[in-house]
Amino acid sequence: MAVKNAAKEAVKEKYVSRDFKEYVRDVIPDKGLDETIAGLTPEKIEKTIKAVIGGRSSRIKAVMNTCIHCGLCAEACQWYLSNDKDPTYSPVAKMRMTIWEMIKRDGKVDAEFIKQCARIVFTECNICHRCSMYCPYGLDITFIIGMVRRICFLLGVIPQRQLDQAQAHIITQNQVWLSENDWLDAIQFIEEESGADYIDLRVPIDNEGAEVMFLPLGAEPKTGTYHIERTAKIMLVAGVNWTVPGKGTWDCSSMSMFVRDMVTMQRIVRGLYENAARLRIKTMMLTE
Amino acid sequence: MNNSSNWDWDTKEKVVADINEWKKKFFAIRDIVPSDDGEKIATIVKNEERRFFTCVNGETWEETFERVYSLKFTPDNRLLALTYRDYEWAVAVDHEMWEEKFDYLWNLTVSPDGNSIAVNNRTGEMTSGVCLNGKAWENSFPEARDLVLSPDGKRTASHVQVKPRAELDILGFMKKNYTVAVDGTPWDNTFLNVWGGIFSDDANHVAAVAMTDMSQYTIAVDGSPWEQLFGAVWEPIFSPGSSDVVAPVQTPKGWTLAMNGKPIWGNFSQVWKQTYGPDGQKLAAVVATDVGKWTVAVDGSPWNTVYNQMVLSPIFSPDGKKVAAVVKHKNKWTVSVDGTPWAETFDNIWDPVFTPHGDQLVAKAEKNGRYFITVNGKIGKKNYDWLWNPVLNPDGTKILIRAIDKGKYYRRIVSVNEI
Repeated sequence: MAVKNAAKEAVKEKYVSRDFKEYVRDVIPDKGLDETIAGLTPEKIEKTIKAVIGGRSSRIKAVMNTCIHCGLCAEACQWYLSNDKDPTYSPVAKMRMTIWEMIKRDGKVDAEFIKQCARIVFTECNICHRCSMYCPYGLDITFIIGMVRRICFLLGVIPQRQLDQAQAHIITQNQVWLSENDWLDAIQFIEEESGADYIDLRVPIDNEGAEVMFLPLGAEPKTGTYHIERTAKIMLVAGVNWTVPGKGTWDCSSMSMFVRDMVTMQRIVRGLYENAARLRIKTMMLTE
Repeated sequence: MNNSSNWDWDTKEKVVADINEWKKKFFAIRDIVPSDDGEKIATIVKNEERRFFTCVNGETWEETFERVYSLKFTPDNRLLALTYRDYEWAVAVDHEMWEEKFDYLWNLTVSPDGNSIAVNNRTGEMTSGVCLNGKAWENSFPEARDLVLSPDGKRTASHVQVKPRAELDILGFMKKNYTVAVDGTPWDNTFLNVWGGIFSDDANHVAAVAMTDMSQYTIAVDGSPWEQLFGAVWEPIFSPGSSDVVAPVQTPKGWTLAMNGKPIWGNFSQVWKQTYGPDGQKLAAVVATDVGKWTVAVDGSPWNTVYNQMVLSPIFSPDGKKVAAVVKHKNKWTVSVDGTPWAETFDNIWDPVFTPHGDQLVAKAEKNGRYFITVNGKIGKKNYDWLWNPVLNPDGTKILIRAIDKGKYYRRIVSVNEI
């Protein structure tokens, strides 16, 4: 019993920000935030911040100089509303506690500060853009949050699962580390499994000249092949000439976008269009 | 390279197979693939027992399998397929199976002369590598992606993961676990990621994109990265007959082409798909002069016309004097030659082929769901249910048409001047 109570007490342990005392949160261990900051030096952090925000583009200046701290953005934020209107969850506070402080200190912040920034921008903001809709000036707050995400990406400080998916996209161009052979094997498995129910239910691979190219989410071939089977059934009944790519990029998601990995974002979009051009399809059909 | 001079260029029309008859005769048929010379047409047949076999010109292979995929002909008109039976995959060549069996096979690749057949293979231990002409690499890797075959078909490479990766091991990623393996031997250097591998003409060198940091990329040649690092780079090529490497690179001033690390062109919003002319002197690439303004640049000079959607890989004429590219503008496809688009537009058009003198361009195109041959943008009189890419005879005066028309597969020969 004592052990259980001790565990409960541990869960209740609070993190109080060194830089912003009003920022109080539960302690949530995360390898992507706790361990990745070990190798960061002040020099590397400053260099990275300055590389991203550089001479401060007019877009950043517009947000920084125009914001009147009215707080109207707060009412737009599901994080603020679902945390008893705690002002530290308001979009303007998220900017104040991250990029504004980086600029104020001319990039001279330490690893602990970066960890806190990563927690704010990755786990307390969904980059849904609602705050910009509520802002009387229409300021693009999400753009600012995205820049902080990019700084954290370049420094490698991202919650573990999110970073893992971003790394998966870098290597495999899909979010679930699916190998080339597993993608093809999964497609062939679907055709094989449906063989008893249909004369020949197809998931055509590299069907040149098809009307439609279907691009699933990575999880479909990995853990939910029945989703692709349903698509195949719909295509069969609708009489659509369709295909899936047999190589290159086929996962329509982009976890790289959420961490602002600009190069992999380009590779994904380019890869999908390369397949569209290679197969001369007319329409891309994406899951979701 | 097929030896098309021996093909039948005189018989104007042959009905090689009645595909509609096949559909009646068999339980189900899948992909339909013609040989380069047009004399053969093959398909994958499924029978009522859910077993698969291949059929060429109506003649069926008695062997049946649980799966048959990747049906294709070699340039010398041999039929290839990947076959699966009793938990083992094998390559089948003209209905003869390789003795070597594997846990899985993919990326079936044939050398230009047709003499070499390479394929990625997965082992029972769930490692993977490459198998060339039935001989698997001695080394296999936790994962191999993409198959790169040298122009002479004698060497193979693949992008490989060096060590096993634990689930969610985000810190392990930073230890650089990827490289290129050539003939099964990995480069000494590893990187965060590698892709876009390519052999030099003489097969003695391999270049690839290498990711060296979360925001830094370069080209690695035989494992050695260029000294210069860039914000991004695209897939490299070798200069013809040399070990010089050219790749698009992103600098603070924009995208340009770099040779061996040093910029050789001016700056653009985007650069990719660089390709050399036949004599190895001229260099063309797809470029964007601004957002949504795509065109081709030759030796760094962009065409005067731009296209707002897509420009596909540049194609040089055999004499190197002209450059053509498939372009998409305002939702219509056509071909642009030296920056001048054809007057005719299409719903779809495939990469055109220059005649040997470079004066005519022949392509397969689609309009309103029908397929036809076009020469210099002029639409052929006859249209088809489906068409494969046209093949020119050696002097470029005749076109071999391989087409499906009213359910029959035709091999037709027409004059380039009388389509």
